[in-house]
Amino acid sequence: MRLPQMPVPELPHRQHELQFYEGFTQTVYTTDEEKQFPDGRLIVSSTDTKGIITHANDAFVIMSGWEREELMGSLHSILRHPDMPKAAFKDLWDTVSTGTKWHGYVKNLRKNGGFYWVYATVVPNIRDGEIQGYTSVRRKPSRSKVAELGALYEQMLAAERSAS
Amino acid sequence: MIQFLIAPDFPPQYFAGWHLLNTRLQRKTNAAIHLQTPASPQEEQALIASGTVDIIYANPFDAAQLVRDMGYLPLVRPVNKPDEMVIATAASQPLQTLEDIKPDMRVLHTENRDVKLIGLRLLEAVDLNEGNLQWVEADAFQAVARHLIDGDAEVGFFLASAYQGLSSLTLNQLRTLMESKITDISHVLLLHPRHSAQQEKLRSAFLEMGNDAAGQMVLEDLGLPEGFETLTQEDAEFMIDLMETLLD
Repeated sequence: MRLPQMPVPELPHRQHELQFYEGFTQTVYTTDEEKQFPDGRLIVSSTDTKGIITHANDAFVIMSGWEREELMGSLHSILRHPDMPKAAFKDLWDTVSTGTKWHGYVKNLRKNGGFYWVYATVVPNIRDGEIQGYTSVRRKPSRSKVAELGALYEQMLAAERSAS
Repeated sequence: MIQFLIAPDFPPQYFAGWHLLNTRLQRKTNAAIHLQTPASPQEEQALIASGTVDIIYANPFDAAQLVRDMGYLPLVRPVNKPDEMVIATAASQPLQTLEDIKPDMRVLHTENRDVKLIGLRLLEAVDLNEGNLQWVEADAFQAVARHLIDGDAEVGFFLASAYQGLSSLTLNQLRTLMESKITDISHVLLLHPRHSAQQEKLRSAFLEMGNDAAGQMVLEDLGLPEGFETLTQEDAEFMIDLMETLLD
C-alpha cells in the first residue's frame, strides 16, 4: 500500500525520498511554513491495527490539509515528516502494540509541505480483551518542549543517517 | 423503585427541569423512578459505591469507571451538547490571553475533575501544570465567579455550560481567556447492568422525550433543546479512550 502523492508545493521546498515503516518509499516535499495548533482543540484520529485511518475529527482534517476522503483508508503515516527520526515511531509502535499508552512530541507533515507540532497520546482500543485499533489525540504543545524535542530529533536523525 | 442519579455539575436553574424530565420518564416507562441529585462528587461517588444507582447521567470522567469497571450499559447522550470548559479571569485583571498566566498564580476551580483535567491540558501549551500553580477550591461555579470578581484568584476554571448560565451582570465582570472546543466528550446516560432487560425501553423513552410540545419544553428548560441520541457501546468506549489520553 502506498500513500496519496503530495502535490509539489508552490512555496520554496525540499524533496525527500522517504522510506516508510510499511516497506515502501515515496517522494514527499517539505517547506518551512508552520501551521499553529488551533487553540482549545484536540486533533483526534483512530486507526485499525495496521495503521489505516478509520476516524478523523474536523481538526485533524483541517490541520493535515488533506480532504477527509483522502485520509480515510490511508495509512496514518501520511503525516510523517522527514524531520522525525525512525526511532520515535518504532518506540510508539513497540509501546502501543503491548497495550500501553504512548506519549510524545511529533512534527507532522501537511499536504502542502508545511508542518505542525503536536503533543500526541496514542491509546490502544481494547475491546473484549483484544486490541482492535488505536486512537491518537493530539494537543497543543508548549513551545519550550518543541524547541527541546526539535533539537533532540535532529541529533537522532543525524545518528540514523550516519548509521545507514 | 428505580434510582436515577444526576451528576452534580449542572447549573442550579436546571434543578426543576431534571425533576420535570423524571416525571415524564416515569409516565413513558410506567415505572417509579426516584431522582437523586447529590450535592457533591463525593456524595455521588458514595451513592455509586453503594450499588443503588440504576440510571445515571454521568460526566465523561466517571463514565470510564461506570462502563469499564462496573459494567454500566450505554443508553443515550445529549445531541450537540459536548462538555467544554472555560478558563476566565476577572475583567479588572490585566490578563488577556493564556500566555499571561504565570507560575504561582491562583486558579479557582470546583471539585469537577473533567473541568480541571481539560483545563490542565490547555495550560500545558504555556508551560503551566498542577505543580506550578496555586489551586483554590470553591463549592460551585457561581462561587468561582464570585471569588474571581472579588480578586481572590487570578484565574477560574468553569464548565462551559455553567459559565454561559451565569447572569449577564456576572459575565460582564469576567473575561474569557480560552474556551475548549473538544466536541467529542459529553455527559452520558448509563444503566446498571441488573436492568439490561430494560435497556431498549429506557433508551426509547429518552429518545422520544421531545416528541411532544411539553417534552420539548422540558428539554429546552434543561439546555438540551435537541434532545438525546443513542449512545452505543462503541461510542462510550471511544469517549473513554479519549478521556484516557487526557489523564496525563
